[in-house]
Amino acid sequence: MIKFESVTKIYPGTSSPAVDKLSFTVPTGEICTIVGPSGCGKTTTMKMVNRLIEPTSGDIYVLDERGELRNVLEMDPIQLRRGIGYVIQQIGLFPHRTILQNIGTVPQLLGWDEMRIRRRAEELLEMMNMPLEFLDRYPHELSGGQRQRIGVARGMATDPPVMLMDEPFGAIDPINRNILQNEFLRLQQEIKKTVLFVTHDIDEAIKIGDKICILNVGGHLEQFDSPANILAHPANEFVEDFVGADRALKRLNLVRVEEVMDSRPPLVQATQNVEEAVRFMRERNLRFVYVVDADRTLKGYVRVKDMEGKTGWVDEFVEPAATAIQMGTNLRDALSGMLVVDYANVCVVDAYNRVRGLVNTEMIHKAVIESESPSGEEGEG
Amino acid sequence: MTTDVIQRQRQNGFWREMLNGWVTILTEPSLDTFYAQKNRADLLKTVLGVGLLGLVIGLWALAVKPASLIIETETAPVELLRVIFFTEADFFIITLILFFIAKGFGGTGNFVQHSYLLSLITVPLGMIVVAFLFVGDKLGLTLAAVLNPLSPIGIVSIFMILFGFYGLLLLLFALQATHEMQASAVVYTLGTVLAGWGILRVASMFVAQEENIITTEWSFIAGQWGKGTLQKLLLGHLWLVAFSVAIAVVLGVVIGVFITWPPQRPRLSHVVVLIPLALFLLLWAASSGMMGEGMADSIMATVKGWDRSLTRVEGFFGPPLDIVAAIISKPAAVGMIGVVFTIILYALFLAGESASEVTLYIAGIILTIPSVALFGVMIKPLGIGPFNAAFALVLYAQLPILRNTYTGIKAVAPEITEAGRGMGMTELQLLLKVKLPMAIPVIMTGVRVAIVMLIGITAIAAYIGNDTLGEYIFSGISRAQEKRYIAGAILVAILALAVDYFLGWLQNLLTPKGLKGRREAV
Repeated sequence: MIKFESVTKIYPGTSSPAVDKLSFTVPTGEICTIVGPSGCGKTTTMKMVNRLIEPTSGDIYVLDERGELRNVLEMDPIQLRRGIGYVIQQIGLFPHRTILQNIGTVPQLLGWDEMRIRRRAEELLEMMNMPLEFLDRYPHELSGGQRQRIGVARGMATDPPVMLMDEPFGAIDPINRNILQNEFLRLQQEIKKTVLFVTHDIDEAIKIGDKICILNVGGHLEQFDSPANILAHPANEFVEDFVGADRALKRLNLVRVEEVMDSRPPLVQATQNVEEAVRFMRERNLRFVYVVDADRTLKGYVRVKDMEGKTGWVDEFVEPAATAIQMGTNLRDALSGMLVVDYANVCVVDAYNRVRGLVNTEMIHKAVIESESPSGEEGEG
Repeated sequence: MTTDVIQRQRQNGFWREMLNGWVTILTEPSLDTFYAQKNRADLLKTVLGVGLLGLVIGLWALAVKPASLIIETETAPVELLRVIFFTEADFFIITLILFFIAKGFGGTGNFVQHSYLLSLITVPLGMIVVAFLFVGDKLGLTLAAVLNPLSPIGIVSIFMILFGFYGLLLLLFALQATHEMQASAVVYTLGTVLAGWGILRVASMFVAQEENIITTEWSFIAGQWGKGTLQKLLLGHLWLVAFSVAIAVVLGVVIGVFITWPPQRPRLSHVVVLIPLALFLLLWAASSGMMGEGMADSIMATVKGWDRSLTRVEGFFGPPLDIVAAIISKPAAVGMIGVVFTIILYALFLAGESASEVTLYIAGIILTIPSVALFGVMIKPLGIGPFNAAFALVLYAQLPILRNTYTGIKAVAPEITEAGRGMGMTELQLLLKVKLPMAIPVIMTGVRVAIVMLIGITAIAAYIGNDTLGEYIFSGISRAQEKRYIAGAILVAILALAVDYFLGWLQNLLTPKGLKGRREAV
């Protein structure tokens, strides 16, 4: 848990505050993204937690590893920083030290022995899906994305309960950034850290955050809420502008396809005979229907007009489906996939290509409308 | 019949190509020309080209009959063959030595390319030199007179020197084109050859045991070595440089660290830097009679006691002890150092980075004072001898070290120090584990510049009574013995080159591995 209590920062020589009476609480095990335009004090806010910047007034509390809520202003800054994971952009790696030495920075400061540091570093590389031989390489021998993973691993070296991340994926190209974000979210499922994550990218803030803290210039807190609520109910004009005119579309990011799909869709078996299938489709007034085999693996689809008056097995009329949506895909990507192939209904499949449901544009539309309603918390998950 | 024609045609093309190579090398001296010629490399062309040079030298020898080349008893054809053979042998031996040294510095070329490119320089240049000597001989000049830059026919010799430089330039191009190595490695290769050649010359003079009359610079050097004076001066020179640089490194790096240190609020513990000032005030009070008689006497007696106990120790540790004794024995000296240190350190502690500009500015001004003037000015407060010299040398050496420490630390990206600080490093850990290791290559460059510069300035310290290699220069000038001061200058130059070479190696050794690769990658 990280708790801000009317924290203000006024830099010497300036009259207006950089951060103004900020109060919010990040619950344990959640990621809070701080986002806002440049000059909004988001980095200042983050750096006050590990006292790289001293607040002018107010208090900041952090839950330490023993589960005690402690006021950071009463702690020794050096000890405080060693107990908090700190991740910045990949250029923050020490170029003259190997990956092992980089990851082992804080453990070394804490006096761990070499074997323990190496074991921990190996563990972290495995967690990051990186080969162990990287340990003895130097940062310049790695790609940008790999360096950034090492940066995250370095921040987690001592398994701190709280982590601060300062635009960690800012300097990475969009494709790799997306991969890194997904990896980090997957990791967070396991490690459940309390994270303060600074970014200037509202899409990243929505994607990564369990909570979003939107700051305005001068360090005014405009809104602190879950992504779904911020998108559905922007507190004021500033937030509305900041999240963008496409906030309805952004909301689709927050809903996964299995939450809206029809999980008992009409299907025919590849081994059924044609007359039976045609009758099945006529009863439900369907022009086409997806075909599966005995264990629900997707085979393709059949059209009623192809089979009318014919005999034989459904199998002979199957055409391959141009697309299917994986379970876990968000609605935005699902919609995008549907627009590309121009299907009204698209199958939702699991990792083994077994059909789990069916989704269409009406269902997506309905989900958007529902999340607009006051009790709209379905989007969270 | 037809094969004969083809062969002759090929031969024609062959000779024309070789002639073409010589002309382009002489008229278009550039790296590209050598790269282009590299592709035409051919061992046969090399052998024939050098053979042709040998033939020309042989013909010249037959016409002029210099004692070193001609053995009267043999017939002309035998003489010719012998000269050609020796020319080839000399060429390939020297080429081979250069080749191995270049390989040692990471050269990548093969021997055929290497020897071919070198022959393209050697053959035409050699022929031009021979033509010069021939003309000179016909004008009644001896070989020694033509080659002596101080002889009356200076224009010819100046031309020959320029010609030599041109040859050297071509040689640099050829080595770089063949081995595709960095320019510094090329210079090191040649430097090694020259140093080796110098050592061999000195050694051969030793063996020859020439008389006391100064015939050449090398024989003078060999004679001095035999008497043991050279070793003594060399040792004195090196000690003075080493001592001054050691102090300058500490001074430069400490000040460099201070002026890059984040500003701090004054604390009681900072009073530590006032200790030198207190020492100065104590000594000053004692010597000026401001204290009670008894106390002042005992302090002064202690100081004098230090002085007396440090009687000169002959041998290897003599020179540094002299310097230390000279410093300790002079209250005024301790005081000067104390005041300078105190003011700099305390100002820096409080002012932090804002003091850096002023500090660098002052350090820069010091470097502009001519060394002879600085030595002279310091005679009054510090006397003559090693301390005066060391004081001035430290002042000179600290600028490159201080400036490079400052630049090196400042060049560490703010994100990197930020990361270190954010992970809980103390400022001292940040300095020792991050800032200084990353700044070491830059600092070492400064130390290298300082040392090479000091080797030169230390020669001038002979002027205020120090045993350094400058002794030869000053005594040579006052006795009008030109060989003597030229020998002195040569020795200083060789020392500077050798030390710089050694330091380059050391610098490479000290550079953290992660930074080396990064520099290459950039």
